[in-house]
Amino acid sequence: MANRSWTQNRDNKVAKMASISSLLDGKLVKTENAKTLLESIIKPGDKVVLEGDNQKQASFLSETLASVDPEKVHDLHMIMSSVSRPEHLDIFETGIAKKLDFSFAGPQSTRISQMIADGTMEVGDIHTYLELYARLYVDLIPNVVLVAADKVDRDGNLYTGANTEETPVIVESAAFKDGIVIVQANEIVDKVPRVDIPGDWVDIVVPADEPYQLEPLFTRDPQNVTELQILMGMMAIRGIYEKHNVQTVNHGVGFNTAAIELLLPTYGEQLGLKGKIVPNWEVNPTPTLIPAIESGWVKTIHSFGGEVGMENYIAHRPDIFFVGKDGSMRSNRAFGQMAGQYALDMFVGSTLQIDKYGNSSTVTNGRLSGFGGAPNMGSNPHGRRHSTPAWQSLRPDDDPLGKGQKLVVQMVETFGSNKKPVFVDHLDAEEVQKEAKLANVPIMIYSEDTTHIVTEEGIAYLYKTDSMAERQAAIEAIAGVTPVGLRSNPKQLKELRAKGIVALPEDLGVHRSEAKRSLLAAQNMDDLVKWSDGLYNPPAKFRSWS
Amino acid sequence: MLSEVPPEMIQRVKTLTGIELKDTAEAYQDSIQIQLGILLLQLFDIRQLKAIQQKPDAVAGHSLGIFAAAVAAGVISEDDAIKIVYLRSTEMQKSYPSGYGMGAIVGLTRKEVSTLVTQINSEEQPVFTSNQNSELQTVISGSLEGINKVLALAKDNGAQKTVLLKVPVPSHSPLMQKVANVLEKELSKVELHDPQCTYLANYNGRSSKKVTEVKYDMINNLVHPVYWDTMMDVASELGIDTTLEVQPGQTFTKLVKSKFPDFRTITMKNMSLDDIEFLLEKWKRG
Repeated sequence: MANRSWTQNRDNKVAKMASISSLLDGKLVKTENAKTLLESIIKPGDKVVLEGDNQKQASFLSETLASVDPEKVHDLHMIMSSVSRPEHLDIFETGIAKKLDFSFAGPQSTRISQMIADGTMEVGDIHTYLELYARLYVDLIPNVVLVAADKVDRDGNLYTGANTEETPVIVESAAFKDGIVIVQANEIVDKVPRVDIPGDWVDIVVPADEPYQLEPLFTRDPQNVTELQILMGMMAIRGIYEKHNVQTVNHGVGFNTAAIELLLPTYGEQLGLKGKIVPNWEVNPTPTLIPAIESGWVKTIHSFGGEVGMENYIAHRPDIFFVGKDGSMRSNRAFGQMAGQYALDMFVGSTLQIDKYGNSSTVTNGRLSGFGGAPNMGSNPHGRRHSTPAWQSLRPDDDPLGKGQKLVVQMVETFGSNKKPVFVDHLDAEEVQKEAKLANVPIMIYSEDTTHIVTEEGIAYLYKTDSMAERQAAIEAIAGVTPVGLRSNPKQLKELRAKGIVALPEDLGVHRSEAKRSLLAAQNMDDLVKWSDGLYNPPAKFRSWS
Repeated sequence: MLSEVPPEMIQRVKTLTGIELKDTAEAYQDSIQIQLGILLLQLFDIRQLKAIQQKPDAVAGHSLGIFAAAVAAGVISEDDAIKIVYLRSTEMQKSYPSGYGMGAIVGLTRKEVSTLVTQINSEEQPVFTSNQNSELQTVISGSLEGINKVLALAKDNGAQKTVLLKVPVPSHSPLMQKVANVLEKELSKVELHDPQCTYLANYNGRSSKKVTEVKYDMINNLVHPVYWDTMMDVASELGIDTTLEVQPGQTFTKLVKSKFPDFRTITMKNMSLDDIEFLLEKWKRG
């Protein structure tokens, strides 16, 4: 054993860095040398993390990686939380990359399905965000990470600002394990506004040819909220938020939850719920929350990422958001997902299909969209030990060693936008499992974790059911005229209502006729800007009035 | 239809195929005349786009349209495209003189249509799930007997609309294998080049930059469904957000618009070349 070196990785890194010393000016590499840099420093078979989630993309580095010579760089094992851009998959066609571990692929779901079916890529596995981040520290430790920053100083200190997102969790996995950290910078500055990542963790900085890609993913125009969604929002507020005394929450990205956000200051106020429900949020800074913030409903918001247009508003509301000394927001996707999994009373989301048992999936038409973060939040964490009134309200009475449960709520209209039933006997995901040869059916939220389903018909309190047959009956009762819903009958419905397992609008004191657009605190984007005192600056594509 | 097309192009068709293209409604009752006429119009449009230096990032043809797409991508010459389409249309015409065709179903998913097709399809009354035009618009192909039965079943199962198409051949189904065999022989003699842009293939809905894939599509697309909807999904995922439809119609622009409302679209049928050039340049500038 005497001759064994215990610093092989470190020595290897030193040698790699030495081999590119001619490209380096301190930590800086010129934009035009980016391709040469990647060709020199990435070795065939390396594990490479390419930063990109559903909002922020290291787009300069991903384009550069796609341009390298496949003779020099090939068979890479890519680790990407989100497969979003065309070149993320092009690199598998050209042989630069071979294997992929990922979390979300919504924007490339057709091509990724084709490439898996054709054997163009080998899939390690499909993860939730948290799982993928976790594996960076265990069995997917990267050799090279490619990330994006807004501003970088000459020492390599990074300012990642409102869109810090997953940069810290990626960089840390490489920086302390002799991986190489390469950063694309929107701008090189003398002094960063604040240090989001210390320069000590950063090896190489390349000024990008243009700013990294950033999508306003969580902006919902109130104009597109329908009266059906308003009705469902009213039911949810009464039958879930109020009933369970919910304090901490995450909302998905759909219009259903946007409706709830816009109903709090109006309908919620009428019910006298202000100050009693949902003060604390783990959610991106969605513009539809502005009225609830301004009218004092929301006390705190921690975010996974930023939202284009909300920067100035957030800067002026540091009591609500997590904001640095410099005045801009700090987000953190890994911590956000952790908070979403462990610290919340409730997750409210939407989905494209729910089967007769209550399992839901966003996979349709053979398109493999992956998981993202929804299952982290839309699942009951078995490791949770702290109690809150909402969590405790789901505790079964008959078990002396029992405990509470997270509220996991699915809000769906019984028919989707394509006029096809959302409630089905079999999920399309079952087909996709076969086509893509996955170990398991890609289910987003399992029935066992789903505590409530809200439709325009009513609410099913699935956590109250004590058999699968009863659970199925509860789902049928609120599934409308879908094939699943047509199995319900008046007698069954009556029994379920009597047991409190199903509630119709009238059981909740919600009047269908009151579900009007005028009930929304903001009717359009202009209203949101007014609520924000002019601090919210909507992206161009949402500025239909100007 | 061919009034704008230069006489020398029409003459070229005659030289290569012996067919005199008559630009009359009556002549277009003949499937060889109509296929060659449409091809020629599309070749003319492609020449016009070349003249204003507009190059596509990707090409997508639907059935017959793949030959013009292959010309636009630099895979096959105009002359060879004309010869192949002439052969393809004559072979199609003589393959099933009567009793076969195609039907369209609107309002059911492809999976729903396939379930119905499986119930009816047999050796005596063959019928197949064919072109995928959009999520809720599927074409079936085969014997008229089989098609009519599936269309009736579709109506019973909630289809909004069912139509027997005016196509006398069971295109895009396995019944066309003989035509594919003839085309394979002929295309093996033709000089082909790698596409200069992305080619979206009918037969599998995938994108490719390989000549072998385009060649396979030109030989075999009649045997396979046209996976148009998937082709458009792939185009969008590749970053395409602008489409230009060559003549004669605007059917595909309508499909694109309903699928991707944010796409910018141009139909050559409705726009002058000057306007097209102006718009394309403006959009390029952003």
